[in-house]
Amino acid sequence: MPHQIELRDLTKSFGRGADAVDALGPVSLDVAEGEFVSLLGPSGCGKSTLMLMIAGLLPITQGSILFAGKPVKGPQTDIGIMFQENTLVPWRTVRGNIELQLEMRGLPPADHAASVNALLASVRLTDFQHRHPHELSGGMQQRAAFCQAMVHHPRTLLLDEPLGKLDAMTRESIRSDLQALWLQERRTVVFVTHSIEEAIQLSSRVAVITPRPGRIERIFDIDLPFPRDFDVKVSPEFTRYTRAIQEIFRSYGVL
Amino acid sequence: MASSDHSRLTARLRDWFEQSWMFIAFFAGFFLFWEYSVVWFDVPRYILVPPSTIVTKGWADIDRLLYYTWVTGVEVVLGYAVAVVLALPIGLAIAFSTILRRTVYPFLVCIEMVPKIAFAPLFISWLGFGLLPKVIIVFLVCFFPIVLNAILAFSSLPEELTRFARSTGAGPWRTFTRLRLPAALPQCFVGFKYAAINATVGAAIAEFIGSDQGLGFYIQIVTGNMRPDLAFAGIFFLTLLGLALFGLVTLAERLLIPWHISVRRGAH
Repeated sequence: MPHQIELRDLTKSFGRGADAVDALGPVSLDVAEGEFVSLLGPSGCGKSTLMLMIAGLLPITQGSILFAGKPVKGPQTDIGIMFQENTLVPWRTVRGNIELQLEMRGLPPADHAASVNALLASVRLTDFQHRHPHELSGGMQQRAAFCQAMVHHPRTLLLDEPLGKLDAMTRESIRSDLQALWLQERRTVVFVTHSIEEAIQLSSRVAVITPRPGRIERIFDIDLPFPRDFDVKVSPEFTRYTRAIQEIFRSYGVL
Repeated sequence: MASSDHSRLTARLRDWFEQSWMFIAFFAGFFLFWEYSVVWFDVPRYILVPPSTIVTKGWADIDRLLYYTWVTGVEVVLGYAVAVVLALPIGLAIAFSTILRRTVYPFLVCIEMVPKIAFAPLFISWLGFGLLPKVIIVFLVCFFPIVLNAILAFSSLPEELTRFARSTGAGPWRTFTRLRLPAALPQCFVGFKYAAINATVGAAIAEFIGSDQGLGFYIQIVTGNMRPDLAFAGIFFLTLLGLALFGLVTLAERLLIPWHISVRRGAH
């Protein structure tokens, strides 16, 4: 399978000269097309920095990133991104926000009405498409933000803790939505999270990142069948992965 | 249909009254206290008059009051409009240009420290008693709040929206019309409203210093003639003028950014 994203000895430092702080690296990682890879680590470990560098939104200090075979030099556009703070704007409706992605790219929303409708239906927001974000719950807002990140059919999704601000129950429900969407479309996903359970449940591979400077300590192939529902989460295999990852964080004094 | 509209209106009126009756009662109490305390404490008529006298004497001089309201209103509206028209593009340019942000912006912040109203006598002496110096002074007291808020507004797009915009590959114009401009409007309106409050103050002081018409001129003359009743009538019309401008700006805000939290909550 071709590699969609290749990271080679990537490092990131902030500041200059003697005051420079090594935030990340060196990090090397290959992400295959259609893979769901989680970057799992505690806050401040550099996982968001790593994602921003892949998106071409933050300059690389050393090393290189290849995106679909081409070196990353500036912002990548064949991607959909999501952050902990969603990028829904308050002056547009849910539908208008999804269409914002199209308009920013110069794509006429009228030509994509069918795919907007399908996305809205897939996250059960059809009845709320003419509401403004402030009229929706946090979970509905993040589901709308998913649609916004996917409406232009990007080959890669870069998701930086998109469920970080939601309560536990809502997270659970949106995780299954996200998994269903991924299983259906098989886009490449890089998913930043600090939840061990979330990473194991969603990912084909989990890259465990340890802090100061951020490094990939180990990569786990999660060999569990999809879709991973509640039964999988209480299975012994799931617990084994959880234990192994907890062990790493404990040895670094994170847990 | 008509009856349900009617009952909804009644319900809204009842809600409004439930929230506001204490305020109305307090306001009424204030004027009653004023009315009767002037009599009880035997305050001389050339110091303070009761509100009822202000109404009757003001009504007797209504032609002059209305004409001067018009005169001051023209100064206020012209000065305010010029301030908006100049401050918005300047604020925009400063927000987007590093050079301007390092030169013009600190200069504006320094000038902002100077009480603009202190320039008023100079403008009168340079430009005479006419309309122009008043418009300039109103402009000065309105320009700074608008320009400073516009700079803040146009330079504070949330980071995740900036990143989102870059990930779409959109050019600066599309990013401006679709994200930066609408996102900046609420903060711009903070400046518009603040300037609307300043505008009548500027006009009144400019007229105090040197003029032969307008509400500021009127208040000064009648006070000199020991007519506090007419002075209060002038103040009343000056207040109305300020409220009208502020009301127009608030109306524009409601029409332009109905989605914003300050409009939704009805808080100002």
